[in-house]
Amino acid sequence: MNRLALFKAYLVKEFAIFRRYLPNTIGGIVTFYVIFLLIFLGYTGIAGGSPNYGDMVEDLIVGFVLWSLILMSYQNIAFTIKDEAQEGTLEQLYMSPYNFGWIITSHVSARLIINFVIIAVILTLIMLTTGNWLNINLLSIIPLTVFTLMGVLGVGFAVGGITLLYKRIDSYLQILQFAMVGLVAAPSESVIWLRFLPASWGSTLIRRVMVQGASIMDFSFGELSLLILIGCFYLAVGYGIYKKAEQKAMKQGILGHY
Amino acid sequence: MLDKEPMLSVVGLEKTYQAKNKPPIRAVNNISFQVKKGTIVGILGPNGAGKTTTIKMLCGLILPDAGAITINGHDLAVERSSALRSVSAVLDGNRNIYWRLTVRENLAFFAALKQRKTAQISEDIEYYLEFFNLKEKRNEEARKLSRGMQQKLAIAVAMIAESDILLLDEPTLGLDVTSTHEIRELLRTLVDEKHKTVLLSTHDMHLVENVCDEVIIINQGRVVVQDSVSNLKGIFQTKPYRILIEGTLSDSQILELSHIPNLSIEVLDTGSTLLTALLEEKSELYPILNILEQEESPVESIEKITPNFEEIFLAILQKGA
Repeated sequence: MNRLALFKAYLVKEFAIFRRYLPNTIGGIVTFYVIFLLIFLGYTGIAGGSPNYGDMVEDLIVGFVLWSLILMSYQNIAFTIKDEAQEGTLEQLYMSPYNFGWIITSHVSARLIINFVIIAVILTLIMLTTGNWLNINLLSIIPLTVFTLMGVLGVGFAVGGITLLYKRIDSYLQILQFAMVGLVAAPSESVIWLRFLPASWGSTLIRRVMVQGASIMDFSFGELSLLILIGCFYLAVGYGIYKKAEQKAMKQGILGHY
Repeated sequence: MLDKEPMLSVVGLEKTYQAKNKPPIRAVNNISFQVKKGTIVGILGPNGAGKTTTIKMLCGLILPDAGAITINGHDLAVERSSALRSVSAVLDGNRNIYWRLTVRENLAFFAALKQRKTAQISEDIEYYLEFFNLKEKRNEEARKLSRGMQQKLAIAVAMIAESDILLLDEPTLGLDVTSTHEIRELLRTLVDEKHKTVLLSTHDMHLVENVCDEVIIINQGRVVVQDSVSNLKGIFQTKPYRILIEGTLSDSQILELSHIPNLSIEVLDTGSTLLTALLEEKSELYPILNILEQEESPVESIEKITPNFEEIFLAILQKGA
C-alpha cells in the first residue's frame, strides 16, 4: 500500500509540473512534430514514387513515435538522476525509507503515463497530417511497449550511475539520444543478433502490430519470451551498474555533488 | 539532561577520502559521541574539520570506513530503513526542496516519500504551514519564495516526516538577521514543544550560544570537546577585567603590579594605560585598586569582560591544536 502511495505522490507531482509548465510541454510536442514533418517531407521527396510508399510511411511513423517514447524514457532515468543531484534533492530521496530502486521506478512510471499522453497527441497529429492511420491495438501495444522500454530503462540506469560518478557528461548523454535511433531502426527481423540489443526486438514486434495489423496473440511463445528476457536482462544489468556506481559514490562522498 | 536517553550514538566513526594522484584525506578520525533525546546539539569546527562528512554519514549518504551509528536503537548499517525513518535532514538548505512545486505540494510529496500515512498528511500539512508561518504562501512555487522562506520550507519538509531526529547542515547560512532569528526560535520551539532532537552543524556562534544545549567541537576530524554550552562558558568564565587608567603608571606601581598573577599592562596610543586581569574572585580586584590609589592614578573605567562563544570556540581550538 505504501509503495502505491509513493507512486501516487509522484503522479501528483509530475502532473502538477506538467500542468504548471504546459506551454513548455506544448513546445516539446511542437518540436517533435516539426522534426517529424521535416523527416516526412524529405522522405516523400525521395521515395514519393515508390510502389511501397504507403507501408514505408507507416514504418516511418511507428519508428519516429517509438524513438520519441524511447528517448523520453531514457531521459526519464538518466536526466532525472543528474537533475536531482544538480538540484540538491537526490540526497533527500536516498534518505527515504523506500529503496531507491522503487523510488526511481515510481518516478519513471508516473512520467511514463504522462509521456504516453504526449506521444498519443504527437501520433494523432502525425496520422492526421500524413493521412496514414495505424492499427492502434492498445491491448497488444501496451505490454509490448512496457517490455521494450524495460531495456531502455536499463540503459538509463547504467548511464545514471555513470553520471553519479563522472558528473559533467551532458554532451555524452545527448549523443546517446541519437544512438537510440539505431536501436529503433535496426533490422532485427532479418539480422538475428540485432534482436539482442535493447529495444530493438520490441520495436520490430510493435511495428508488426501497428503496421501489419498483427495482435499479441499472433506472436509465438519464443518471440514473446525473447522480448521479456531481453527487457529483464538489460534492466537487471543496468540497475546492477547503477548500484555499483551508487556504492562507489557513497564511498567517495560524492552522491549528491554536482 | 543526564537522565535523557541517547537518540543518536556514534562510536569510532572513521572516513578517509582517497583520490587518484592525491594524498588521502582523513576527514573523520575515530569520532564518538551521543545525542540525547529532546536536546539541540551543535557541531562546531573550522572549515574542513569533518562536520559535513559526519552529518552525511549519519544520514547514510556517505559510507564510513569504520565505526557504528545507532539511530533510535537501530544500527544504520544493518537496519538502514528503520534507522532512516527516525531521521530527517536539511543538508543544502533551500536546495533540498523542489523549486517548481508549491509549498503545499512540497510538503505533501516529502510526507509520502517518508512513508507518512495518507490520512494524516493533510492535517499535518496545515499544522506545519501554520507552525512555520507559511500559510499565506501555500500555493506559491518554492522558487518564488525568499531565501529565508525557502529555508523554513526545507525545515518544514524535514519535519513533516515526523522523524524524531532532525539533522541540519548550516541552517542559517546566507540568511538575513530576521530569518536567522526566526529559524533559531523555530528550532527551540521544535525541541521544547514537539520534543524533537536536533543535531546541527554551523559556523554561527550566536545560534550555538542561544539555541544549543550541548556542543561538539570537531577539529581535524577529531572531537576536541563535547559539553553543555553553559559548562563551556563556565570553564572559560575566569572573570577577566579591564581597567583603563588615564596616563601612565610609575615604575614602583609597575613593579608591584607585576607580582599579581595573570595581569598584563599595556600603554595605549592614546596615552592611557590598560590593565587586563584574569581573576578567580572579585575580591582579587582590591589589591590592584590599592596600588593605583597609592599614587592616585585616575581610573577611567573598570569593565568586566564576558567571553562570547566565539572566543570560547577559538580558545578550545587553540588548546586542542
